[in-house]
Amino acid sequence: MTQPAPLYIVASPRPRVGKTLMAQLLIEFFRAGDRPLVGYDLNPREPSLAGRFPHLVWPVDIGETRGQMELFDQLIADNASTQIVDLGYGAFDQFFAVMGEIDFVREARHRLIEPIVLFIADPAPATARSYTGLRCQLPAMTFVPVHNEAVSIMFAKEDFPATRAECSMIRIPRLSPIVRGVIDRPNFSFATYRTTQAGRPTEIHQWIAEIFTEFRELELRLLIGRLASSLGGAPANTREFRRER
Amino acid sequence: MTKPTVVVVGADKGGVGKTTVARTLLDYFTAHHVPTRAFDTESPKGTLKRFHPDISDVVDVTAVPDQMRIFDTLSDASVTVIDVRAGLLSPTLRSLRDIGFLDAVKKGQLTFVVFHILGSSITSLNEIEEMAAFIGDASYFLVKNFINNTSFFEWDQATHASYFKKQKDAVVITIPKLNEMAFEQVELASVPFLTFVANKGPKGESANYSFVLRGYVRHWLGNVWGEYDRVKLNELVASAPPAGGARVQVVGRS
Repeated sequence: MTQPAPLYIVASPRPRVGKTLMAQLLIEFFRAGDRPLVGYDLNPREPSLAGRFPHLVWPVDIGETRGQMELFDQLIADNASTQIVDLGYGAFDQFFAVMGEIDFVREARHRLIEPIVLFIADPAPATARSYTGLRCQLPAMTFVPVHNEAVSIMFAKEDFPATRAECSMIRIPRLSPIVRGVIDRPNFSFATYRTTQAGRPTEIHQWIAEIFTEFRELELRLLIGRLASSLGGAPANTREFRRER
Repeated sequence: MTKPTVVVVGADKGGVGKTTVARTLLDYFTAHHVPTRAFDTESPKGTLKRFHPDISDVVDVTAVPDQMRIFDTLSDASVTVIDVRAGLLSPTLRSLRDIGFLDAVKKGQLTFVVFHILGSSITSLNEIEEMAAFIGDASYFLVKNFINNTSFFEWDQATHASYFKKQKDAVVITIPKLNEMAFEQVELASVPFLTFVANKGPKGESANYSFVLRGYVRHWLGNVWGEYDRVKLNELVASAPPAGGARVQVVGRS
């Protein structure tokens, strides 16, 4: 069974909820596994992800049709790489509107690309409404809610139901403020940190390890879900499986 | 055997998108497997023929030999679409009356459909009034075409109502706007909208059109056909409806 190439879209309708950090972590995760990778930074005013990874992440402005072609024509053409989109909140509505209008999800699946929205949840009622609206607008899309503890400790998790059992919420743990200041530096690299700060594990090491485990589990759950679906059965929940063990 | 249908697409004003609407109609009938032919009255060089060369001919609708070419051969296809050049709608309808075509429609021997493309100005409303003498037994559609970004700014509600009341049986069809770049690309490709959506060239060869632009065209064409389905155009031309009465959708991918 040929596995589809994942296209991760890190999204939220609100600013400053950790989208770019999440996209950066994904890039570092896939880079650590030497996976072919390409990223798109949809924050035309402040393309900080493209600044961090100048040869890997391309800034795109989808405000004009030309930019939309630059992005979506590339996304649909590349089923050999893992693709990551850092969707700035300013482009949020337009991105999904275009995606719906051009029937992107169906065509992507047809070309063995699996789009997955990593939706960063927060307690604002507008965010939950936006999530519900998007799921109605794009019923075929896979949505995985993300709980970034640095943004919100508590919110109603039932407002952000996952598309399927295997797409359950992933958690980004909170870092202490001082350590957070370190990783927010423009030139900070998780990969470099992990190799240069060998020795006793620090809070950052532990934090990265936890998040990468979340990513690995998500990939595994999605894979098992696809296998189960191709075999006509219900997908197993690997997280539950791990807890039971 | 189905009764021949003549669909006239016209306006007395230029630049309101007559040929674009005619093209969507040809695509619609093609998708519904309705044998269709078209006449482009933009003689000598027709725009419609550029997009649908296999089923279109350029004619001078005011010349008797060409009138014979069109109306003496109506049974050659279920539907005959005539894209009438700007300024020729009223003269064409007059000719149809003079040659007895409108009488044949009255007797139920032919189906007659008029797509009257409206412009933004009050002139368009005056045209509606002029049409009244000719379209008594036709299915008359007033088309508000937004593809050229037309805003029907000169129409206040009272004026609009006073004119539309005169054509009680007229049905308004709205053609939504198509993304400008997508429209330009189809123009450059010189292929039917459906062929563009299917990512094919003029000779059926694989093409390399933008997926985004094809998506815009597919979505737009779907909406246009939705309007045609709403007014039951397919039933009007008396062709067999698709199996189960299902709506034909714009599909096509490379």
